[in-house]
Amino acid sequence: MFKMTLAGRLATAALLALPMVATSIQAETSLTVAVKRDHYSIDEQKFTFTTRRPAAQIVETAVKPDENFLPSPLLFQSWDYADGTYSITLQEGVIFSDGTAFNADTAIAALRLYDQGRSDFLQINQESFEKTGDMSFDFRSETGSALVIENMTHRATSFFSTMTNRAENPVGTGPYLFESYEPKQQLTVVRNPDYWGEAPTVDRLTFRFIADDNARLLALQNGEIDVIDEVTPQMLLSMPQDGSVVLHESRPIRYVALLANLNGSAPFDIAQDYKVREALACAIDRETIASILFAGRGVPAKGILPGWMFNLGDDHTDGFGYDPVKAGTLLDEAGWVMGADGIREKDGRKMSLRLVAAYPNVSTVKPMPEMLEQMFAAIGIDIDLVEVDDSGVYGSTYLDTGEADLYMEFASNNNTDPTYLLNNLFTTTTPWGGYKFTAPGPHVDALLAEARVAQTREDVIDKVRAAHRAIVQDDLAAIPILMVPNFTLSRPGIEVPMSEYADWIDYGRVTVAD
Amino acid sequence: MLRYILIRLATALPTLLGMSFVAFAIVSLAPGDPVMQELRAMGVVPRPEDIAAIKAEYGLDKPFFPRYFDWLGRALRFEFGESIATGRSVMDEIGIHLPSTLALAVSSFIGAVTISLGLGVAAISAGRWTRAGLRGLTIALVSVPSFWLALLLIYAFVLQLGWMRLVGNGSAPDLILPALTLSLGAGASLGRVVYERIRSEMCEDHVRLAIAKGLSPASILVGHIAPRIIGPLATAWANTFGALLGGAVIVESIFGWPGLGQLILQAIAQRDLPVIQAYLVFMGLGFFITSLLADIIVILFDPQLRREVNHE
Repeated sequence: MFKMTLAGRLATAALLALPMVATSIQAETSLTVAVKRDHYSIDEQKFTFTTRRPAAQIVETAVKPDENFLPSPLLFQSWDYADGTYSITLQEGVIFSDGTAFNADTAIAALRLYDQGRSDFLQINQESFEKTGDMSFDFRSETGSALVIENMTHRATSFFSTMTNRAENPVGTGPYLFESYEPKQQLTVVRNPDYWGEAPTVDRLTFRFIADDNARLLALQNGEIDVIDEVTPQMLLSMPQDGSVVLHESRPIRYVALLANLNGSAPFDIAQDYKVREALACAIDRETIASILFAGRGVPAKGILPGWMFNLGDDHTDGFGYDPVKAGTLLDEAGWVMGADGIREKDGRKMSLRLVAAYPNVSTVKPMPEMLEQMFAAIGIDIDLVEVDDSGVYGSTYLDTGEADLYMEFASNNNTDPTYLLNNLFTTTTPWGGYKFTAPGPHVDALLAEARVAQTREDVIDKVRAAHRAIVQDDLAAIPILMVPNFTLSRPGIEVPMSEYADWIDYGRVTVAD
Repeated sequence: MLRYILIRLATALPTLLGMSFVAFAIVSLAPGDPVMQELRAMGVVPRPEDIAAIKAEYGLDKPFFPRYFDWLGRALRFEFGESIATGRSVMDEIGIHLPSTLALAVSSFIGAVTISLGLGVAAISAGRWTRAGLRGLTIALVSVPSFWLALLLIYAFVLQLGWMRLVGNGSAPDLILPALTLSLGAGASLGRVVYERIRSEMCEDHVRLAIAKGLSPASILVGHIAPRIIGPLATAWANTFGALLGGAVIVESIFGWPGLGQLILQAIAQRDLPVIQAYLVFMGLGFFITSLLADIIVILFDPQLRREVNHE
């Protein structure tokens, strides 16, 4: 009869248990994401540490943007707006990672903590909080806005526990826990075992700060990182085509457009003539530009807000086709006749336009400025091309002074408030100083002011739609060129759940093939 | 000697003051509003009173000269305020990044001195063709930009051989490639100085006498030439160390080395004025201290200068 000694039994048990241990070891997944810069601030006035991309995994917002950029429930289970009052019902079963209950008291405290930052971003009247139950409360907007909930989809409005110093130990309700932060090196978060929602698929996320574009790409090829979060056009151009690097993209969200100086003084007053702006719009061969830049993933633009966003639709703008003959005719009608040197003239004045390519920096749109220069030269417009790789210089030297005719910008509406971008870039009352030069005038001011105080979402969107059409079509304050997706790069076998809103790319749900 | 050092320190005061003024002026007068830039980057809509409050907090609402004197008073106590970008104190920022930069600068310096001595001595003792080869190598290393050399080394040692990783965590093995990148260029440049100095000393009577006495080349080099060239070399070393301390920005960026180079690159991009000003002051101080040390070494190794200093 076979008899096992105690040692033998233990050895057998250990052998049988080994696959289970191995399985649990294999289940430990980690992901290293390379990001360009560590630009986190621990300053209470403009706190971004662990709230902005890509590390926004520790704390959560009240609502999150759905596929159409409309707010959907997260920490707020539901909300109602009537007569200037927001009534909130909180998500049940949520706890902060330090064990503090998430309820009306802690939610109000978290909202008050955020509003310490000196900004009217949230637009909450801090005196108006009224607890209506353990899991419900009311508040009012300090500006009478119906867009407060929309603004809460911004990661900067994340809810922190007020029990700890968030600069040293950020505590939230999110799927990850803060583990370590080494400035300019890396930030690591680990899975929160007590997360109230669906558990993420990745156990450990490390965000490596690698400033150099080439180094990020080489590190990916060398297997030292798994995903690159910030992808420049140059990286797309130099991306290896052998399958060792995989490109992931969202729907197009970012626009490249020329903002026209509509209110400048001579000599920067030529673009005030609508026919000149229309001629410029018709002289741009968007298909060619789209095929060359951004790995061919950009699409010719009819506006600066994509049609899918806020359910705006695509039919409220017409866009401008490539028609250099029409462009020449329009310039003739505007009195700009072709000179002997191939440059148009009017009343002895050469048609020379200063085009500044700078925002966010010229390297993000290269070589588009040179391509436009050639396209405009073909219809007799001389371009004084200014390329500035510094948004500070751009702002103070060219934008705030109005000393240019055209401003090339590569940006997006990074806010689920539908009025955000248009109000800041195209109203005479813009808080962003220099953009008063690109404001079409009182009619757009009025449309956006009405949108900001409209009391139903439908009303808001109707007015935003009208303002958008005025800006990109009827007034041509912005000449749309391309709409461009958000990009990430990864090694093969990784699937990144892309989001048009870069702050909302959920790296915790990246899937990695075996 | 102490008197000399004190005089040297006293005469440096106007230079340091001028340096502080230039550092402050360059940064303050540069275009770009850090407050607006930061707020726009955050995607928030500021009220005018918010902007005014932030400007007041950083003293940006005052005229230039009062701001300069306020800043100078604090700079003398090494109080440079808070980083606009990160919210940490500037001295904390420098404290976080300075050790990495020092480690990189010191190791690159040691590498550069070793390479330069090797190249210089080898060129002296080599035959005609080998010397021409070494000269070509030196010219190539001096001419190649550091970022290109860095990418070349990455291709060879990281991607092809797999001996090292590209993005480390600031540990000693991660120091090898960035230090090598910096050492090669600086070492080649210093190698020319070593070679020229040894050659010029070899024409001197005391060396010819040593050769005539039948001393070995190593004895002549160590006993007769080295003491005479150490002074001029110290000056070149001081300049090289200062340049390594402040000039590793691109290399730090490529290798993700968490030093002052990364800090200043980002500070410039974000118009983080307090950090930029402090960086410039520290770099100026670094150059001043290394050149002072070089001067002392020159005096210590030059009997004639030593007598003059002691006599005064």
